[in-house]
Amino acid sequence: MDLRPALQLHTVIKALTDVVLPAVDPHNKPAQEQARLAIGMLHLVAQRQPLLYRYERDELARFLVLADTLREQAAALPVAKAALHALTLSTEAGEDVLERAQAEPSELEAANFDLREKIGALITTVYAGTPTSDLKPISAAVNAHAKAQLLRERVWLQAQGWEPDPTSLPAIEALIGDGPDA
Amino acid sequence: MTRVDKNRPSPDWIEQLRQRFPCEAEIDRILTRKLKRRAGPPYTPVSLETLVQGTQALIAAELKDDFQILDAQWLTGGASKLQMAFKLDWHQPGVGRTATPMVLRMEPSESITETSRLREFQIIKALRGVIPVPPTYWVDAEGHFLPYPGIVYGFAEGVAKPTAASSGVSGVGTQMPPQVRPALGKQYVEHLARLHTFDWRQADLSAFSQPAAGTQAVEWKINQWERIWEEDANEDVPLMRLAFAWLRQNMPPVDHVSVVHGDYRVGNFLFTEHDLQISSWLDWELSYLGDRHEDLAWATKAIFGHPDESGQTFLVGGLLPRDQFFADYQAASGLAVNADTLRYYDLFSNVKSVVICLATGTRVPRNGKSHQDIVVAWLAGISYLLLEELRTQLEEVV
Repeated sequence: MDLRPALQLHTVIKALTDVVLPAVDPHNKPAQEQARLAIGMLHLVAQRQPLLYRYERDELARFLVLADTLREQAAALPVAKAALHALTLSTEAGEDVLERAQAEPSELEAANFDLREKIGALITTVYAGTPTSDLKPISAAVNAHAKAQLLRERVWLQAQGWEPDPTSLPAIEALIGDGPDA
Repeated sequence: MTRVDKNRPSPDWIEQLRQRFPCEAEIDRILTRKLKRRAGPPYTPVSLETLVQGTQALIAAELKDDFQILDAQWLTGGASKLQMAFKLDWHQPGVGRTATPMVLRMEPSESITETSRLREFQIIKALRGVIPVPPTYWVDAEGHFLPYPGIVYGFAEGVAKPTAASSGVSGVGTQMPPQVRPALGKQYVEHLARLHTFDWRQADLSAFSQPAAGTQAVEWKINQWERIWEEDANEDVPLMRLAFAWLRQNMPPVDHVSVVHGDYRVGNFLFTEHDLQISSWLDWELSYLGDRHEDLAWATKAIFGHPDESGQTFLVGGLLPRDQFFADYQAASGLAVNADTLRYYDLFSNVKSVVICLATGTRVPRNGKSHQDIVVAWLAGISYLLLEELRTQLEEVV
């Protein structure tokens, strides 16, 4: 999936800055102010969105440290018994999440990118020296993977309105695996 | 994991691509120029005043008489080039003092279709009197006078779609109402037949390479589009590699070398609404000498047409049924429509579309290279539907 938010935000900011903002009525002060704020907000989102996952993970790690300290310091206080119990449960849950949240989104993206490239190179090499009729199992595997992959990609971008029969498409949640709340 | 930095391509990498994918000399020159410029600055907005000054300089280099550019204004339409309409007050040879409506068509820094203005200029000029095309005036092939390369041609009256019709970005999804279909459909077929039977050997098409008999024309095209895929694609797509392999293994020989428009579809002609006459065919930038079946496959693509009111019959370009389109074409041109070759170019068309929309359509806005980055990035969203169509085609043939 090549149409990621980073690219989309980049184009939105450019369109607003180069084309839309210069056309906003200079005498309409609220429109001028809000157009500039909208662009500024999008710049902030574009700048920070790639770091958000790391930020959340760092935040969780720091809260876990604080939680450990507080549990230790408040252990002897009878008034804190119920609150400590709740904090302990949440700490355990947080530690579990932190342990599972190791790879960065950018690492996932890079791993996908790398596999795409190496698979593509293999296909080019194999088919350059062999007739497609002799490679039917490989062709079938590539096609079957593409069928599932393309469905995900089409559903992801469904709101753009390209699909001739959007009602026939499943929800994206049904295609990308169960979330943590399932 | 070592990646080629396609945003800052090295001279070695550019040379490797040139050697690996031989194509027409002018196309090689344009693609090489694109890569050499890529690490340069992004597109910055150009004012109308700048375009007027550049156009004035271009015309002044060609005309000895006094002239004046009047009523300059932006033209919309298309996702690839900037266009400015203006009137030229000049002494027109054979006419005298007059104000001629004209259009400047100029490239951005990098376009969703990186092409040659010289080729576009030559082909439009060559086809004058063959099918409706605008008169051509001047070309700034290397951007000596304008910020980027551009051509000046005559302004053609008309609309790209009926005033009341709906359409999506770049004309995709235009709905043609029943009352315009017979007249426009007839011309749609006849003009294509005339184009494909045009004797291009008598024309000045020095920027076009003449393919040898056999498969050279299609091999050049596969090389061109696979090279662009290599140059522009961000993520690779295994299905595209399978498609390129199949295209290479199944190249049909060309039985009649024609001028191929390369983007022959609704949205790329203008017509006058009062008499339903096509006044001009536009967007010749992808034209080449090759197999007519590419135009036939492209013109009949699903995304450029729609069903009739019953929902049962697909209308090519929203104008006429598919069977009628091919029957009328064969009658008008005297050229056969080969079903296998048509299927080949149908698949080829999807590969080409995906290269344009997904590879270039994401590379251009990634580097901020055009005046329409958001339009180009939006269009990229259609790529996965096109890939799905390609997938089902491949499923049948491999």
